[in-house]
Amino acid sequence: MSDEEHHFESSDAGASKTYPQQAGNIRKGGYIVIKGRPCKVVEVSTSKTGKHGHAKCHFVAIDIFTSKKLEDIVPSSHNCDVPHVNRVDYQLIDISEDGFVSLLTDNGSTKDDLKLPTDEALLTQLKSGFEEGKDIVVSVMSAMGEEQMCALKEVSPK
Amino acid sequence: MEEDRVLSSVHSTVFKESESLEGKCDKIEGYDFNQGVNYPKLLRSMLTTGFQASNLGDVIDVVNQMLEWRLSDETIAPEDCSEEEKDPAYRESVKCKIFLGFTSNLVSSGVRETIRYLVQHHMVDVIVTTTGGVEEDLIKCLAPTFKGDFSLPGAYLRSKGLNRIGNLLVPNDNYCKFEDWIIPIFDQMLKEQKEESVLWTPSKLLARLGKEINNESSYLYWAYKMNIPVFCRGLTDGSLGDMLYFHSFRTSGLVIDVVQDIRAMNGEAVHATPRKTGMIILGGGLPKHHICNANMMRNGADYAVFINTGQEFDGSDSGARPDEAVSWGKIRGSAKTVKVYCDATIAFPLLVAETFASKREQSCEHKT
Repeated sequence: MSDEEHHFESSDAGASKTYPQQAGNIRKGGYIVIKGRPCKVVEVSTSKTGKHGHAKCHFVAIDIFTSKKLEDIVPSSHNCDVPHVNRVDYQLIDISEDGFVSLLTDNGSTKDDLKLPTDEALLTQLKSGFEEGKDIVVSVMSAMGEEQMCALKEVSPK
Repeated sequence: MEEDRVLSSVHSTVFKESESLEGKCDKIEGYDFNQGVNYPKLLRSMLTTGFQASNLGDVIDVVNQMLEWRLSDETIAPEDCSEEEKDPAYRESVKCKIFLGFTSNLVSSGVRETIRYLVQHHMVDVIVTTTGGVEEDLIKCLAPTFKGDFSLPGAYLRSKGLNRIGNLLVPNDNYCKFEDWIIPIFDQMLKEQKEESVLWTPSKLLARLGKEINNESSYLYWAYKMNIPVFCRGLTDGSLGDMLYFHSFRTSGLVIDVVQDIRAMNGEAVHATPRKTGMIILGGGLPKHHICNANMMRNGADYAVFINTGQEFDGSDSGARPDEAVSWGKIRGSAKTVKVYCDATIAFPLLVAETFASKREQSCEHKT
């Protein structure tokens, strides 16, 4: 009985944001949706069928965007939603005044709707690298209609 | 001469003249099977058989007194009596309020059927039990419990998915069925809590479960139909609690208020007056203490019957005799009390046969 609320964003049509997987098959390091949030599993423990009913999987997971710890217990035979998590690399063009970045996509157009990262260390590295005029490639993680910069690397000019 | 004196002093020590008990105490006499196998007579003979048989005989006596008492037996105290209370017809109708308490193992056993009989015919007024005492009753409507053996090895049973309760066996599957049955009910209850501002308490929850199970073999069903409150102090300590735990992960927010229930339970005792109160408690633990504690609020119950195997030497409340409860004010000094040291699976059906059931049979005969 998967009754989590789904946050349906209005963005990309076609590709579904999640796919179902049996709870018993989700392992540590995999992804899972808990309370509508895409999360990475850090701990799984199973309690066998007993007085508490059907066998159950206890998941401890971290929200991939907010880093909050979330927990869930699911009967192991039930299906869970697993988010499609994508990572795309973009070249950094500009950092705008109102907290957005301008990125160069593969097909030559620009992507301007990505906010600056909330992670302090990443933000500092991004700003200082950009100010020094370095070529920066950012990794953007996206899942369930949300996206966030998760890493960057400085590329030496060719 | 010396020898004679010694002999006579020894004689007078060994053959010390005794006080006559004739007329003061009952003679010990067991049942004579030459009369044939007559069960009612056999049970009545227990009173004079001695040891726990006599205690059981005493318990039967006390319960019959509980059932026979009417307010009209008491002299009217004019100062604190309302006009209604002085009316003889009213006084004839006021009976003793009976609290029945039992532990969960008894519901796993066949004593559940005896309990169901009492509830079905509204022979008790308040029920107090443990979580297991509730879920075992519900689960039996979904799948049966089986007879096993005390000596079955634990690891073997675990590998077969069988849970042992003494010499009874409950398959894991039964609890899975319980889970499948109860989770949608919790969902519905949560919905009612949010939309209709229902504030659930353990007793309200149990009434709802009695309504939902809708099965005449369940005592909880009859408690719901007869409007008999069922109090469960430790609602989270059992499979029901496990279900609440799991439900809170999937859809959190269900609130169960225990404060309202303690008002209700103590209120049953406090507002019982002018009725007398009687306690019939099978086993020890939570139900025993909870009923005694509630009766403390009215300065003690008037009748108390304990059927358990507990011993008092460790100071536990479970093993405490009624007299210990008197020291707390949980039972009146003037109360009629008996404890029989016996497994309730033996004592209770026999008790009900000689009290509740036989009285009902008699009154049914009078009506026909």
